Order: sequence, then structure tokens, then C-alpha cells
Amino acid sequence: MSPMPHKCTKCGREYKDGSTEILKGCASCGGKKFLYIKEGELNKDVLEEKTIEEIAEESHEEVLEIVEPKSKKEVEMYDRVETIRIVSPGSYELNLEKMAESDERIVSVGKEGSYIIDLMSMAKEEPKKKPAREKKKR
Amino acid sequence: MKIFYQTFGTAKKKFSNFLNRFFKKKRTRIGIYGPPNAGKTTLANRIARDWTGDAVGPVSEIPHETRRARKKEDVIISGANGNTITMDIVDTPGVTTKIDYHEFLEFGMEKDEAIIRAREATEGVAEAMHWLREDIDGVVYMLDSTLDPFMQVNIMMIGIIESRNLPVIIVANKIDLPDAAPARIRSAFPQHPVVAISGLEGRNVEDLYEMMLEYFG
Repeated sequence: MSPMPHKCTKCGREYKDGSTEILKGCASCGGKKFLYIKEGELNKDVLEEKTIEEIAEESHEEVLEIVEPKSKKEVEMYDRVETIRIVSPGSYELNLEKMAESDERIVSVGKEGSYIIDLMSMAKEEPKKKPAREKKKR
Repeated sequence: MKIFYQTFGTAKKKFSNFLNRFFKKKRTRIGIYGPPNAGKTTLANRIARDWTGDAVGPVSEIPHETRRARKKEDVIISGANGNTITMDIVDTPGVTTKIDYHEFLEFGMEKDEAIIRAREATEGVAEAMHWLREDIDGVVYMLDSTLDPFMQVNIMMIGIIESRNLPVIIVANKIDLPDAAPARIRSAFPQHPVVAISGLEGRNVEDLYEMMLEYFG
């Protein structure tokens, strides 16, 4: 007899050790928590009219819980931080919206998949520049 | 005495030119934007030839011929009713979201040359976008009217231009070609003025000039 040492804490359905439902969720109720139960105590919940959770507290076994991976949102190309993505040398993806709103000024795209950003243009303060220019005029 | 007045006159003129140079109102700077091969440089050349007598830059059928923004300063356009507008015309590299050197290979270009072209084109787009951010007062957005106007890059660029509150005239170019459909462009961008022209043949460019006076003046 194959051991069936895991039970869904919600509905009590038994699963073999290593079965994929423990990773995916209970096939009957969709429950995501499973408790390892010693073979001798397999029917304890039914016989003693306890919930699996109560048994978990008694046995101090760790309840296995499926942690949903934080849904990997499809990253929209235009949500990316980069203004230019270098796919390979000579092949680029350009993020126009980022380019339009970013203070960075790209002056040249390097040979080895790098690009140079004009830091001075980022530091530049417009209001300061104008009075300086006016001074020159006079 | 006469000589004195003449000298005084020239001095005065020189002085006022001198003053004008410094106190002149900032000129209107018009950027010609659009996807590659829409005919931006052809139009820029036509505007420059019509109003100043010289050209802006070379044109070619290979995309991304213009890889640096080129500027033609002090272009004075006058309309039928005598209105004039002085502007700087900025011809920009074709704006696109993807540049791959492979597309240039199809035109018989060597790999090394194509890679360099791609890199320069990428820099050019970055530069054009930077101009849009700081130095442009109005946009002429060029579209090839034989192509689908609903390309992502067009929608995005018009959105960016709108978010900057820049006046924009949409040009449906290449109406000299048999499968041109400028009406498609009109229905794609009903919120903006659209003018159908042939930059190559010069058809309807007067309409564009009138529109520029109206919207950028």
C-alpha cells in the first residue's frame, strides 16, 4: 500500500507524498494548504471529528502551503526603465515614451552594447542659464 | 552733412540689427517628425528650397538616411493674405521603436556599415526625442499615406506630442503614389488638422504652408 501522507486542510482529501496536487492545489476544493499526517493517524480527523487544522495544531507538523508566485506581470515594453534596449549589436529597441520624459540625454550608443548618457544635460538648470546669457548680451 | 546722415543711417541700421539679434523674440521652431521613409527630408528640402533657396539634406529610399537632426534657420513663410512667420525647420531622424541592422542588409549594405547605421539611427531617435522635449514649438507629423496610419509608433508619438501641448499638423504624404489613401489618415487622427500633399512633386504644399501659418503663427 502506497503511503498517502498528505491531507488537504480544507476538505481532507488525501494525497500521496510527492503528488503534483500538493504543488498546484487540491483537485477537489482548490485548497492550497496540506498537512503531512503520520500513517497511523491517517483517519484521525474522521474518527475524532476534527478538522485537519486542529490536527495540525496537535501534531505540530508544518502545514505545507502553496505560495502563489507573485504573478509575473508581463512587463510592457514601455514600462521598462531603459530608454534603449540593446538586443544585440546593431539591433535596438527604443522606448520613445521614456525618451520623451526622461532627463537623460543619450549622446552615443557604444560599440559593446553600452550607451553613454550626457550627465551634464541632466544637471543643467534652465532658469540659471538664462540670466547668464543676458549678461553676455550687454 | 549728407555724408553724416548716410553714415549715421548705416550705423543706426547696424545698431538696430545688433539689437534685433539679441532682443528678437525666440523664433518658432518646427520639428518635422514621423516614421522612417515618410518623406520628412524631402519636405524639409522643399520648404527650404521654396523659401530660402537651398536644401537641408540628402534623401534615400533606405530607411534612416537622416540620422542627425538637421536645422534650417530663419525660414520665412508667407501666406496668401500677407501673413508671415519666421521659423526654424528641424528635420529629424525617423522615429521608430525598433532598429535592426538586418533591414539595411536588404538594400545591399555591408554588415559593418549596416550596424553603424543602426547605431547612428538609434542615437538620432534619442536626439529627436530630446529636441521634442526642449526645443520644439510645433510639429509637422509626416505619414506615408500608402501605409497603415495605425502603427504603434504613430499613435505613441501623437500621444507624446499631445501630452506636450504642442500644435501639430499631420501631413499625409506621397499622394502622388497610386495606392495613397490620405482619407485613412484623416479618420485615424480626427483631432488634428490633416493635409494631403506630395512632397516629391510639390502638390498641395501651399495648403500646408497656409496651415503652418494658421497653426504655428
